[in-house]
Amino acid sequence: MNRRTLLGGLFAAASVPALSACASGITSLDSQGSASGGGGSSKGGVTIGTANFTENQVLGYLYAAVLQQAGVKVKVRPNLGTREIVIPALKSGDIDLLPEYQGALLNYLAPKDNSAEPGTMQNALTLAMPGGLQVLPYGQAADSDCFVVTRETARKYGLTTLADLAKQNGKLVIGAAPEVKKRRVGAIGLKDVYGVEFKEFKSLDSDGPLVKGALKKGDVDVANLFTTDTDIAANDWVVLSDPKNLIPSQHIVPLIADRKADDRVRKALARLGNVLTTAQLTQLNSQVDNDKKDPEDVANAYAKQHGLA
Amino acid sequence: MYELFKNLGTWLTSGANWTGPDGIAHRLAEHLQYSLLATLIAAAIGLPLGLLIGHTGKGAFVAINLSSFGRALPTVGLVVLVFLAGGLSMLPVYVALVALAVPAIVTNTYAGMTAVDPDVRDAARGQGMRGHQVLFQIELPLALPLIMTGLRLALIQVVATATIAAYVSFGGLGRYVFDGLAQRDLVQVLGGAVLVAVIAVLLDLLLSTLQRFLFRHRTA
Repeated sequence: MNRRTLLGGLFAAASVPALSACASGITSLDSQGSASGGGGSSKGGVTIGTANFTENQVLGYLYAAVLQQAGVKVKVRPNLGTREIVIPALKSGDIDLLPEYQGALLNYLAPKDNSAEPGTMQNALTLAMPGGLQVLPYGQAADSDCFVVTRETARKYGLTTLADLAKQNGKLVIGAAPEVKKRRVGAIGLKDVYGVEFKEFKSLDSDGPLVKGALKKGDVDVANLFTTDTDIAANDWVVLSDPKNLIPSQHIVPLIADRKADDRVRKALARLGNVLTTAQLTQLNSQVDNDKKDPEDVANAYAKQHGLA
Repeated sequence: MYELFKNLGTWLTSGANWTGPDGIAHRLAEHLQYSLLATLIAAAIGLPLGLLIGHTGKGAFVAINLSSFGRALPTVGLVVLVFLAGGLSMLPVYVALVALAVPAIVTNTYAGMTAVDPDVRDAARGQGMRGHQVLFQIELPLALPLIMTGLRLALIQVVATATIAAYVSFGGLGRYVFDGLAQRDLVQVLGGAVLVAVIAVLLDLLLSTLQRFLFRHRTA
C-alpha cells in the first residue's frame, strides 16, 4: 500500500544485504566510476520494475515515458512486490531500473545509518550500494514521513514544528502504524531529538483510513502520514516542520543496474527528477487513487504536458 | 525454523514478558474480557431469537439467513466501516465480534428447538400446558445440549477473532500479532498466535467437559 510496507518487508532479510554491502562498497564505487565513463549500455532495452503501491507504479511509468522519449526501448513490470522481491530481481537481471526512496533504501542497505540530509544520504547510499547497482542523482520530489495535526489543534496548542510538541508533553495522543512506536522516525526519535512525550500511542494503520479517520474525529491529535498524501491539503491539516532533521529525506532516486546506466538513461532520468515536484507527484497519485485513472495514462499525460515525452 | 521455535520458547517463558501493561498476563485478561463480553451480547441477541423462531416455527428462513449474513461479512471490513462511522472506540470491535457470534447461536438454538420430538410437545399441550410453559419447561431443557454447542462454537470463533481489537489500537493478544508483523518480529507474531490457539482449545475443552457433565444422564 505504501512505502512503509515496502520497507517493513525487509527487516527479516536486512542483515544479509547489509553484510554484502560492506564487503562490496569499494567495488561499487569503482564500478560507478567506470559506468559514468560509459560502461553500461541501454541498447538492448531497459526493464523497469515497480513495487506494489500506487506512487511507485506512477514513477515507473514516468521513467518509461522519459526513456522512450530518449530513444530507449523499455518494458515495465509493475506491482512486483516489496523491496524483498524487487532488489533481488534487480540483481539477478530480471529488471534493470527501479524508482526508490533515499531514506527507505538506505535503511535497507545500512540500517544503522542515521543520515537525514539529502546530500549526506546520497553519499551514504553510494557507499552502501551492493556491487553491480548504483543510484542516480535524486530528484526534487520526496515522499517523506511527516507528522500532522488539524488546523484547530495547531492553533489551540501553538504548534508549527515538532519541537513545539514537547511543550504539550503528556497531553497529546499520537496515531500511527504499530511499527512507529519502536522506530527512530517515530516515538523514539521524537523523544530523543525533540524531547516529546505523548499521553498515549495509538497503533492504527500506515497512512490509511484508520489513522486519518481518527485524526478527523479528534481521537488522535497527531498523525503520522506521508507528504504525498492528497488528504493533507484537502483537509487543511498542518504538517509540523522538522528543524533538527529527525526525518530522513525521502527524495526519489533511480536505482539502476550498472549494465544499463549509460548517458542517455542518466540524462533522461535527471531531467524528470528536476521537473517533477512533490506537489505534482501528490496530484498524480490522487488521479490514480481517487479518480481511478490508469497509472500509465496518468504518467504519460504528465510527461507530455511537461515536454518530457 | 528451529531457531524460531527456540526463541518462541524463550519469549513465552521469560518472566519479563508476562508482567506490565504490555505483558502476556494483562493481554490475556483483555482478550478474555473482549471475548466473553462479545459472546454474552451475542447470546442476549441470538438466544431469544433462536428460541422464538424455534417455538413459533415462524420466520426461520429469514432469521437464519439474516444471521448467517453476519458470518459472511468480512470482519476487518466491518471494523473499519463502523470505525469510520463512529470513531475510535471498542464499539467497532464488539459489532464485528457479535456479528460473527450471533449466527452460530441462532442456528444451533433453532436446530435444538426443531429437534424436540413433536409428540413430546403435543403431550405437553395435551396436559394443558401454556405456550411459555411448553417453551421453558419442555423445549428449552431438551434443546439445551445443542444450544450449549452453539454458545461454545460462538465463543471459540470470537476468541480466535478478537485479535482484531489490536487493529484499531486496543489490546488483547492481537497486540503481539499486529505489532510483531509491523516490526518484523516473527517470534512475537508466533507467540501471540500460539497463545490465541491455546486459549481457544482450552476453552473448548473446558466447555465441552462441562457440557458432558451437565448432560451426563442423556443419551445423545
